[in-house]
Formats: sequence, C-alpha cells, structure tokens
Amino acid sequence: MKPKVAVLFGFGINCDHETKAVFELVGAHAERIHVNRFVSGEASLEAYDILAVPGGFSFGDHLGSGRLLGNRMRFAMRDALMAFVNAGKPIIGICNGFQVLVKTGLLPGPEQGASPDFIQRGSLTLNDSGRYEDRWVTLEFDPESPCIWTKGMSRIECPVRHGEGKYVMPTAEDLDRLSSNHQLTVRYVDPTTPVGSGLSDEPLSYPLSPNGSMRNIAGICDSTGLVFGLMPHPEAIYARWLHPTHTRQDGDTHGPSLDGWEGAGLQLFRNAVEYVQQRS
Amino acid sequence: MRDVRGDVIRRQLNADHAVSVGRVRSICGYLINAETPSETIAQRVDDLFADPIIEHGATNTILLTTDTFSETPDAVITVGFKPGVTDNPGKAATDGYLTLFPTDGEAKIATYLTYAFYGLPVDCDVTWLAGTLHNTLIERALMAGRDECQHHSWPEITFPTPPEQVFIEPQPVDLECDDASLEAISNDGLLALNLNEMHAIQAHYRDASIRAQRKAMNISPDAPTDVELECLAQTWSEHCKHKIFASKIHHVDHETGEDTIVDSLFKTHIMKPTHDMQEDVDWLLSVFHDNSGVIAWDDTWSVCMKAETHNSPSALDPYGGAMTGIVGVNRDILGTGLGARPIANTDVFCFGPPDWEGQLPENLFHPSRVLRGVHAGVRVGGNESGIPTVNGAIVFDDRYIGKPLVYCGTVGIMPRHLPDGRPSHVKTPVAGDIVYMVGGRVGYDGIHGATFSSLELTEESPSSAVQIGDPITQKKMIDMVLEARDANLITCITDNGAGGLSSSIGEMAEYTNGCEIDLAKVPLKQAGLSPWEILVSESQERMTIAVRPDDQGAFEALAALHEVEATAVATFTSTGMFHVRYNESTVAYLPIEFLHEGVPQLELESEWTPPVQESFVPPTSADHAALLEGMLQRPNIASKETWVRQYDHEVIAQTAIKPFVGVERDGPGDAGVIAPIHGDPHGLVISCGIAPRYSDIDAGAMAAASIDEAVRNAVCVGLDVDKMAGLDNFCWPDPIESVKTPDGRFKLAQLVRANRELERVCRAYRLPCVSGKDSMKNDYGTGEHKISIPPTLLFSLFGDHPDVRKSATSDFKFAGDKIYLVGSSKQELGASELAYMMVESGRAAGIGGQVPQLPHPEQNLATYRALSTSIRAGWVRTAHDCSEGGLAIALAEMCIGGRIGAAVDIDGSGEGDVWGRLWGESLGRFVVAVSPQHEAAFLAAMKGHPTTVLGEVVADNNLTITDGDDALVSMDVDTMATVWKGTLDLTGGVV
Repeated sequence: MKPKVAVLFGFGINCDHETKAVFELVGAHAERIHVNRFVSGEASLEAYDILAVPGGFSFGDHLGSGRLLGNRMRFAMRDALMAFVNAGKPIIGICNGFQVLVKTGLLPGPEQGASPDFIQRGSLTLNDSGRYEDRWVTLEFDPESPCIWTKGMSRIECPVRHGEGKYVMPTAEDLDRLSSNHQLTVRYVDPTTPVGSGLSDEPLSYPLSPNGSMRNIAGICDSTGLVFGLMPHPEAIYARWLHPTHTRQDGDTHGPSLDGWEGAGLQLFRNAVEYVQQRS
Repeated sequence: MRDVRGDVIRRQLNADHAVSVGRVRSICGYLINAETPSETIAQRVDDLFADPIIEHGATNTILLTTDTFSETPDAVITVGFKPGVTDNPGKAATDGYLTLFPTDGEAKIATYLTYAFYGLPVDCDVTWLAGTLHNTLIERALMAGRDECQHHSWPEITFPTPPEQVFIEPQPVDLECDDASLEAISNDGLLALNLNEMHAIQAHYRDASIRAQRKAMNISPDAPTDVELECLAQTWSEHCKHKIFASKIHHVDHETGEDTIVDSLFKTHIMKPTHDMQEDVDWLLSVFHDNSGVIAWDDTWSVCMKAETHNSPSALDPYGGAMTGIVGVNRDILGTGLGARPIANTDVFCFGPPDWEGQLPENLFHPSRVLRGVHAGVRVGGNESGIPTVNGAIVFDDRYIGKPLVYCGTVGIMPRHLPDGRPSHVKTPVAGDIVYMVGGRVGYDGIHGATFSSLELTEESPSSAVQIGDPITQKKMIDMVLEARDANLITCITDNGAGGLSSSIGEMAEYTNGCEIDLAKVPLKQAGLSPWEILVSESQERMTIAVRPDDQGAFEALAALHEVEATAVATFTSTGMFHVRYNESTVAYLPIEFLHEGVPQLELESEWTPPVQESFVPPTSADHAALLEGMLQRPNIASKETWVRQYDHEVIAQTAIKPFVGVERDGPGDAGVIAPIHGDPHGLVISCGIAPRYSDIDAGAMAAASIDEAVRNAVCVGLDVDKMAGLDNFCWPDPIESVKTPDGRFKLAQLVRANRELERVCRAYRLPCVSGKDSMKNDYGTGEHKISIPPTLLFSLFGDHPDVRKSATSDFKFAGDKIYLVGSSKQELGASELAYMMVESGRAAGIGGQVPQLPHPEQNLATYRALSTSIRAGWVRTAHDCSEGGLAIALAEMCIGGRIGAAVDIDGSGEGDVWGRLWGESLGRFVVAVSPQHEAAFLAAMKGHPTTVLGEVVADNNLTITDGDDALVSMDVDTMATVWKGTLDLTGGVV
C-alpha cells in the first residue's frame, strides 16, 4: 500500500516540491495541494494518510511567522484537522510548517488523551541573533520520545533556514511537562559530544544553537507522537550530495536508496510511511 | 522575553555609528480603517495582531502609557510608510483581518513600528537617530525627545491616505515647434528622448497617410496624444532599446591608428558569435529574443538564465530598489517561453567601502547603509520567494559611492515540452487570444522607471521611480502561472517590467502584429490614474499572459483558487496597430512597426588613448606575512559570510555545492552547483566573474578577466566545458560625449574594447552569450564633483555538470594531499588588489603596469577541459580559482576552508618575480590538491598543460610559503580565519 501524503502549498509555502519528493523517495504517493482546495472542500483531507506542512514564508511571516496561515487552518480547516488527528494520522510541520502548527495550537497540543483544542501554548520567535540564517546544525533525538517520525534516529546534521526559530513557552513548568512526556523530540547539540549524550537543557552558545531556543529545542511532538514539527530541514539532506562536506567523504555510503547516497534526513519520512503501512 | 527587534537596532547603532544605547524596545503598530467596531476587533487582538505567548496587545491605546512600558524612555521614534508606498505587512494584516472578519471587505490596514530608547547618550540627537531608522523618500518618522517623553507626549501616527489622483483626459501634444521646444518637451516630461528621436516622432505625425488613418479612428490626426508620446518614450528608452549597443560608432584608436565604423556592438560582438556557435551545437534553444536565454539541459528539461541590474532605484532606496531587482528578474524567468520556474538566484553587488570616512555627496547614503539595505532587499525578495541564492559576489571601490551596482540573476527550469506537445521555449499566440494582466494592480508608484534609469541620478530624481516589491503576491502568482502552463492554458507570457503594459503588450503584439487594449479595464491601486499613467506604470508583481478565448474560464478559475487577480485587458489582433482605448475612445494608435523599429540609430564617437597610470612598483623588500594579514582584511577579499549566510541558499533541496564549503562551512565556494531534479545527481553549475578595476588600465582586459574568472570558477567544481552558456551584463558610465560628459569618447572606446575582448574570448571558449543587459548611465553629479563608476562587466555562466557527486571544493582536505598550480604566473600586478592596498596605504605610487592578459584562450580552454575532466573522474577533490590577491590569497582561503596547513614553495611557478608569483593575478590559474592515490592519474590527464607542484597539505595548522630558500610567509590558519572573517562582520555581535 502506498500511503497518500497531502503536501500543502500556496500563500508563500515554498518547500513543497522537495517535501513531495522525499515522501515519494520512500514509497509514498505525495501530492502538492493548495490550501484553498481543502478550504473550499474541493479536496478532502480525509482522503489522505499523512499531512505535511512544508517550509516557506507563508504570508511573508508578517504578524509573526506562521500566524496567518495558521489562522486560515485554525478557522477554515478546523473540523477536518481535528478529525485527521483523532483518526491517528501523522502530521509533520517543517520550519514554517512547524511555526504554523504551533500557532494553530496543534503543537504541543493539549494533555494526553484530549482532542486538539487549537489553543496556542508555545511560540516561535525571532532568533537571538536577530538574523535569518542558513546554517548547518547537529540534531539529536530523544530516544524515548513517542514521536513516530523519529524512531530509531539518533543524530543527524541538516540545515536551519529561519529568522524566527526560537521556541519559547511561558513557564518552566510548561517545558517540564513536555520534557517528562518526552515531547521535546529533537534538540540542537554540540557535535563534539558523543552520539547519544548531546541532549542538554543548558542553552548552547551561538551558533551551536542557532536561535537561542529554550532548552535547545529544535522540534516537538504532541502527546500522541503523531503530530511533529521542527525548525531544521531534514528533507534538505535527503541525499548525501547535499551535505556541505560531501567532497570530503569519499567512500561513505548510507541507506537503502540513491545508490548508497541516501542522506540522513530521509529516514524521518520513511518512518512515517512505514508507520502508516504497518497500521493498515 | 527578549525584544530582539529592538535589540537589533541597538546593535546596529553600535556597529555603524559607535553609539552605545542601553536598551531598545519595539512596538508593532496597526492602523485599521474598517467598518467593524473597535470593541469587536479588540476581542480578537491575540488571534491576529499580537502573539499571546510573547507579546502584549492593546487596542486604541498607546502602549507606552501602559504598565508594559512602566519606565520612561529617553526617546521614542515611530516610523511608518508614506501614503501610497507598498506596505507588505499591512497587506498581510488586511488579509489576516478578512479571515477573522470576512464581511468587512473594504478594510485597510497600515503598519508602523515604534522604538523606545533607554539609556540613550545625552548628546545623541533624536532627529539624527530617526534619520538612521527611516528613508525620507518612502517613510515618515514621528519622534519624542527627552522632554516630550518626560511629559508623556508620545508620537501618534495617522493612517496614510494617498492624495487623490486627478484623472486627466488624453491630450494631444503639439510637436510643430522649434528644436529647443522639442527638447524642452522631452526634458520637462522626463521622456529622455533626444532631438533626433523627437524629429522622428514629429515626422511620423506629418505623414499624410498616418494622418488619414488617425482621423478615421477619431484620434488627434497631426499630433501624438500624451499616451502615445509616453508609450514611445518608454519603448524607445535606452533601458528598453539598448540604443548605445545598437548605435553606429566611429571608433578611432590612437595606439594603433585604427579608424573604423562599428555598426552595432551588440549585433557585431555578441549576437553574431552566438549565432555562429548555434550552428555547431543542438542545445541552444532560444537566444536573445526572449526574457532569458534557454538551453537544453537534457531530453526532458531545459534551463534558462537572466541577470538584471537595479542600480538607480537601489541608490534612492537600497531596500526597495534591490528587492524589486530580484523579484523583477524572477519574473523574467517566469516570462520565458511559456513560463519557466525560477530555481536559483545570483546576486552581485558593487558598493563603496563600508568603512568609508570621506565626504559623501549630497543625497547619497553611506556605503554601509547601502550595503545593509540592498542586502536586506535581496534577502527578503529571494528568501520569501523560495528561491535559493547559490552564487554571487560583493565588490568594493570608492567610485560605487556615486552609484551602487545591484546585479540580480535568476536561473529557471522548464519541461522541454508541455503536456499538449508544444515546445515550452516557443511562444504561440494568435490573433484573437485574450491578454490578461495577472498579479498586482497598477498604481502611481511605478511611473517613469524605464526613462528614469536612462537619466543620471541627481538630487531632484523623482521618488515615484522607487517601489517596494511584494514577494508574496508574486509567489502566489508564480504558483498560479506554473499550474496554468502545465494545464496548457498559456499561449504567450511576458513580464511587466520597464515600460509597464506599453512594453509588455507592445512587445508581445509583435508576434501577431497587433493588439487592442482597453485601459479602463486595468485594475488600479487607487482611482484617478490617467490613461498614459496606466499604460506606462511599472507597478510590480505583474505578468501579461495570453490565453485562447476557450480557456478563459479555466484560467480565471485557477487565478481565483490562488487568490491572484487576473483581468482581461486586451486582445491580440493582426491589424499592424498598437491600438489603445480608454472605454470606447481611442487614446493611442501607433503602427507596431514604428513603435518597435522607428527609433533612429544613434551615431557616436569613440576614441581610444590608453589611460596614464603611474606604475605599481613593489618595495624592494617586504614582510609578506604582514601583507597577507592585511590583504585578508581587504573588503574585496574578506569573507562575506555574515551577508551570504542570510540568504537561503538551500531551499528546493538541490544545492550540492553551496556558497560555503569546508570543515567549518565557512570556506569560499567557487561556483554554485545544483541538482534540481530530486533523486537525480545530474547538475547545473552557476558562476560569475567580475574584475572592474582592470578597467583603470584597459576595459578590454577587464572584460577578458571577467569571462575567464566565471569559467575558472565553474571549472573548479567540475563543469562540462563543452556545454556552458554566458550572460553579459554591462554597467558603464555614460559613454556619450556631451557637456556633462566631456570624456564620452574615451568611455565609449572602453566599451568597444570590452566588446571586442568579449567576442574574442567567448569564441575561443565556445561560450555563447545567450542573454544580457546593459545599464549605461552610472554617474552621479556633474563637473569636478562627478563620480563615474569604473566600467564593469559582470559575466555570469551556467553550464552542465553530469554528476554532482563528482565535484571539487576549495577546502584543503587531508594532510599529505599534493598541491599543484594549474596555469602559470606572470609578472602581472597592474590594477591588482595588492597594488591598490599599497597605494591606499602610501607604500606605492600607482596601480599601473601590466594588467592580466589572456593571450591564448584556446590553450586555456584545453587546460580547463583537462582539469574539469579530472575532477569529474574523482581524481581531484580540491580546486580553487586563483584571482584577486593571487596565489597567496587562494592558498590562505584553502587552508581556512580545510582548517589545515600547507607547505608551499612557489619557486618555478611562473616567469615573474616573487611579487608576481605570490600576489599577481594572472588569468588561467587554479590551485588544486590531489591525494597521493590519484596523483599519477591526474598528472597523466594534465600532460601538456602547465601544471607545477607547489607543495603539500600538512597537519600542523600553519601555512608556510617559501620561494626556494627564501621564507616568505608562515601563518597560523586560525589567525588567518579570524582576520579574514572580521572585516565585513558588521553585525555588532549576536547578543
């Protein structure tokens, strides 16, 4: 069975082509669907197994990144999104998509067991540097996270490309709650630490943490582990030839696809596709 | 929570002006002009205007009076747009507002920013402070100083309502007058038409058959309407018609005694060579006539590229001017063939020195402000459009204070055939097709851009020529247009750029030989624009698209889905006429042939005498390590990382060689490489070359060096030299002799020499130019205060890379790798970066002498082919172009990229003395490193080509350079990295 993936586009989303491509590389059938096709009812979210909200600059990030697209989804796609989440279908938001999911309230979402309530609990705000930057970071995943997207992944390198990637919540207790549920799925780490021991609550210095995120948070999931969002771009390292030092790494091979040139980010998408396949 | 928006202001004041402020806080303000009661809006503040987690929101309250701002600031400055200026956040806010209040359809929202300063130095003048925060051309500032703050008298900004426009019926313009009056008509109307051209227009309206034709159409028979005159001025502008490149030039060379006529530099030296090459290859699909040049990339896809300049607008408003530059050239790609998708941007800027401490002419911004503004405009335009910036350069010279150069390029891709089988690079309109204007609306903001860019910049330059781009409106339009293309709905498409509808529809009407436009149908930003203004306005984010009448429904439905405005405004005809109506009355009726072919050819004088430059004589002895440290800090050589890092260079997940390479990802990339088809390593190389200072000795050498540099950069990453195409973008000072330009003949001779070298080198390299552009009035002021830019050719290149996995980068890889110089160093230090440094620091008297030459380009090409073949074979993983700063800088950059040392002996690397071999900028050179395992294969491949062993990569983190027994340089790699990265940081830190 080929899971069907809806990749949103329109209004300044701009990573829709590559997001579609990475899902197809791991065996899904992905379609780029304009937001308004869902809003008008011309397309039905129910017909899809996975929803991806790609990166970009929806509405120019004016009034806060992800805010305006988040509102369109929160107000015009509310029921469909609620049904999608309640049906246990995976959602991913990458970069601007993560910002959208946070502003809609789908991330981090309510306590375990509750339906989505579309209440915003955290935010993504301007990087401490004050600058939009494209730079490669090292990420480590919480091995105990319920997130279905990151199963078995330990550490990857991929780029961040954002000006508003600093994840914040009003209180330490808010973060503690997510932490104890292992919803702080992925964080920036110092690449010189041994793999598996990089996760830390102590803010890393710039540029190891590119934005000054609380507890070095790069991405979080909801309590079910099905809805996941992150600021860095795993799809941008779907192939090893996109790694900035691939000319230094003759002889390395990785992954089952692309003739040994699979990049470390592709597994994340494969995880979701396999999750859907195993469930059906 | 931290107020980063305010803190950025604090850091910049420190970095640019050494003004230390304790703290800056910011307020985002929204002025709402709507029907909904404010109490209702107040309930939704946190849903739209304020982020409930990180911000405080309030309605109808000055936040400064609330508890949020309990401490009294020392100064408060509010900045908002002037009426009529594009307010993108305001537009987005209006859109978001309608999501919440869908019935409040007439609502309009304007935005402003307020900054509150705490701990402001006592001597810091608030008016000066406000000046650093806004551009008076497009923005207004309100301020409260210490006293006002003490009395809580806060700035209150009001909604910017544009002044009413007065609709003026088209008027005939009487041209039956003397020459002085004709010139006055042109000057007063900002038409930029010379007397010859005015005579040609006058003659047209004296033609009896024309008069009869016009009489029948009920339009002023013997005089142009203002609509027609404006239309002709746009169509015949230097910007649109490239009259200097098309001119007949009498060229005299006092060096050689040559006395000759050149009939069109463009046709002779650019078009002809490309057409000759087109006979030998099958991949040149479309050259010169479309919005960009198209080449076949493989059987399924073609690629195209275009570069533009946006110099004058960027001088007036660096941010808006540069942004419209980049989003404008994106539209050239979208308007190529039946629509290509923009997939990569390039940006090359030329600025005055960012640390300039000398006098600034009136009305010019400090170079650091120009740099910040231009960079921000291009960054926002590119990033928000989702197009990666993969290649570029920033060049500094004092003379660019007078006019910055802002080159913006875009690469596009399209399927070679559309689903219905039509080749995508061929436009297919027929008479009867309906012409739509798609995207933004027409406003007063874009009037006279094309003619304005053909005039030189003065203090009175009009502000209506400045616009701010709207990347999101354009992004929506791009999404929509590409879907329309793939649904076979488009028969013809072009950009609305310079000249507005008059140019876009006028040019497309050549395909069917006629069109009929109704200006009353054109949607306007504000009512009251007169017909001529609607026709020539260059308001941004618009495409002109033709569809078959049967497809109108599908086309309009697609536009509605994407929330893109598309309005049928014209029909193609075959009448031979450019027919413009306003409702039922004809306001312009011009023969297509006269419109496009009627402009008289310019006749110009060119005279070459080599410029006299005092020779650069290096000192007899020197500390080369100290020189290296100084050279690494030169703005032309220093790392541009701060600026380039802020461009998204990886969106679309295709960038295989990025602007940054090496272990710390901060070494310089020589060229961009993209693999645009996901899953397929087939690549495309994008590079550029620019060497403006060589013009100080010979603009011909400047042109040759630019082309060679672009090719070398591309070879470094593994370009297939047998499939590459180029773009020539000339930026020149006015080369027409006049009272204002007494040295016009010399400047024109520079242009002639540059073109001749362009032809010679491109023919030798089998490198067809497929598109290009020129900008010919890059001067500021008059008389002794006149500043003319150095004649500057940007040469951009795009070409094939069969497999991006087999690329090389400039960073040294592993200790033990052997370092080679490919090419040979000569004694060529004229106009070198070293010479300029020595002159500026008083250690040498002049920059003159031998400028780098390219005597045998055919041999160079063979060497380049051998090297790039070695790279694609996987034998060479390290290659770097050797250019500004010569061998020493190339080696230093390679060490920095690899964070590893090298031991190099330059003995035997060329015929020059130690200065020539270490610092000279001879063309045709590369530094490469090869692992011992591949050395034999590499040397076999390079047999017969100049290849000299220089040394090897060493583990000890130190660059040592010797010349035989003479030690020249020994320098720690981390030290080099620190100084190289310091000069252009200019951020004021990150915390």
